[in-house]
Amino acid sequence: MNHEYALEKINLSSKKEKKEVEDFLEKHQLLLDHDVSLCLVLRLTLNQKIVATASAAGKVLKCFAVDQDLQGEGLSNKLISELIHKKAEENIRHLFVFTKPENTFLFESLGFYVVAKLEGAVDLLENTPYGLNNFKKEIIEKRIEGNNIAGLVVNCNPFTLGHQYLIELASKASDVLHLFVVWEDASVFPNTVRLKLIEEGTKHLKNIVIHKGHDYIISRATFPTYFIKDDDKILETHARLDLQIFADSIAPVLEIKKRYVGAEPYCTTTNSYNKIMKEFLPTKGIEVVELARKEFNTEAISASKVRELIRENKLSECKNIVPASTWDFLNSFEAEKIIQKIKTTQSRH
Amino acid sequence: MEIKKEAVAGTVESSDAMVTIAPNPTGAIEIHLKSVVERQFGRQIRKLVEETLKNLKIKSAIVRIEDKGALDAVLRARLEAAADRASEQKVNWKERA
Repeated sequence: MNHEYALEKINLSSKKEKKEVEDFLEKHQLLLDHDVSLCLVLRLTLNQKIVATASAAGKVLKCFAVDQDLQGEGLSNKLISELIHKKAEENIRHLFVFTKPENTFLFESLGFYVVAKLEGAVDLLENTPYGLNNFKKEIIEKRIEGNNIAGLVVNCNPFTLGHQYLIELASKASDVLHLFVVWEDASVFPNTVRLKLIEEGTKHLKNIVIHKGHDYIISRATFPTYFIKDDDKILETHARLDLQIFADSIAPVLEIKKRYVGAEPYCTTTNSYNKIMKEFLPTKGIEVVELARKEFNTEAISASKVRELIRENKLSECKNIVPASTWDFLNSFEAEKIIQKIKTTQSRH
Repeated sequence: MEIKKEAVAGTVESSDAMVTIAPNPTGAIEIHLKSVVERQFGRQIRKLVEETLKNLKIKSAIVRIEDKGALDAVLRARLEAAADRASEQKVNWKERA
C-alpha cells in the first residue's frame, strides 16, 4: 500500500481538534493526558482522517497510537522524529518515554534506551545511551567507603529545622549519608537555592555527601504523577519505577544499604510514596527507616508550613522552624520574588 | 569547528539517520553508532563519520548516530547539518561545496 500522509500539529486550545485526537486515542483504549503540551498527528491526505498520533508533556513523550491497518509503515518513526525536533527547538533534548514492555523494542529501534523495567507493567526509556550512565559516573565520584552507608532524598522547599533534624539523626546513625536533592525545578524555591540552603544548613555534619538528583530521583521524567495528580494506580506504578531506579542503579553504586525518610503528615502523594518505599525497597535488600518529624508547638515542622505562613503574611513566625541560614535567605533581596510567588499561587509545591 | 551545544539533525525514518552532536568534556571524539546495517557496513560508516568530522575540523565531540540505512551522502549531510547547528555557525555553502 502506498499512502500519503500529512504531518500536523494539533492546536490543543481548539476543542474540535482535541476531540478528534481523543476519539482516535479512545479507539486504542488510550486517553490524551491532561498535561500534554504538544500533540502531533498524521492525516491521510486522501480523506483527512487521523491515522497516527504522538504527544509530549515536558520531556516525556506519551499518548502514541497508530492505526492498526497502517502499523509497520514507519508512521511512528515519522512522528517521533518530528517530536524530537520540536522539543530540540524548545531546548529540551533529553527525552523519556513510558511504554508497555511489549512496545519497548519499537522505541529501542528509534534510538531510545531502557532506564528501568517494572516487571509486566511498564518500561522507562530515554533517548540517549549516556543519560543514566553519566548520572552514575557523577555520583560515583563522590563515593566514600564505609560499613554503614545510608541515603536520603530531600526536596527542601525550603530547608527547615525539620530537615536539619532528620539529616542530623540519619547522619549520626551512619558512617556515610548520601543526600539526594530533588533536582526537578517544580518547586517555588529554585533547585540552586534549595541546594545552597541544604549545604549551609548541614555544614556542621562531616559525613554527608550531597548529590543533585537530576532526572533519576523523583523527577518529572521518572515520576510524573508526583507532580500531576493522577490515578492512584498510576502513582503506584511511577513510585515503584522511581524506587527501582534507586535500588538497581543508584544504591549499588554507592553501596547504600539503608534509606531514611521523614514521616509525612500532610501530603498524601508523598505519604503513598513512603508507603510503597517501605514495601518495595526491603525486597531489594535496602532497609527503610522512617523517622518522626520534629515538632514545634506540637505541630510537625514542614516546608509546606513555612510556605503557608508566608502566604498568610506571617513570615516572622517562620523564624521558629527554619535554621538561621534559611531565615537569612528569606529576608534577602533574592527571596522577595519567591515570596511574592508563594503569595499569589495556591500550588502544592 | 567547535561544538558549543547539543544539536540534532535527520530522522529515524527508513533510509535516513538521526545524528546528535554534543560537546565532549574530555576533549576527544566519541562515536556511538547504532545501525540497522551495522554488520554489513559498520566499519565503512564509522570511517565516513570520522572523515566527515575531520573535514569539518571537529576535534572534540560526542556523536550519536541512529542509522536507518542512510546512504553515504545522506549521512554526510546529516552530520554536517548537526555540526553546523551544534557550532552555532552560519554555514557558507558555496565554500563547503
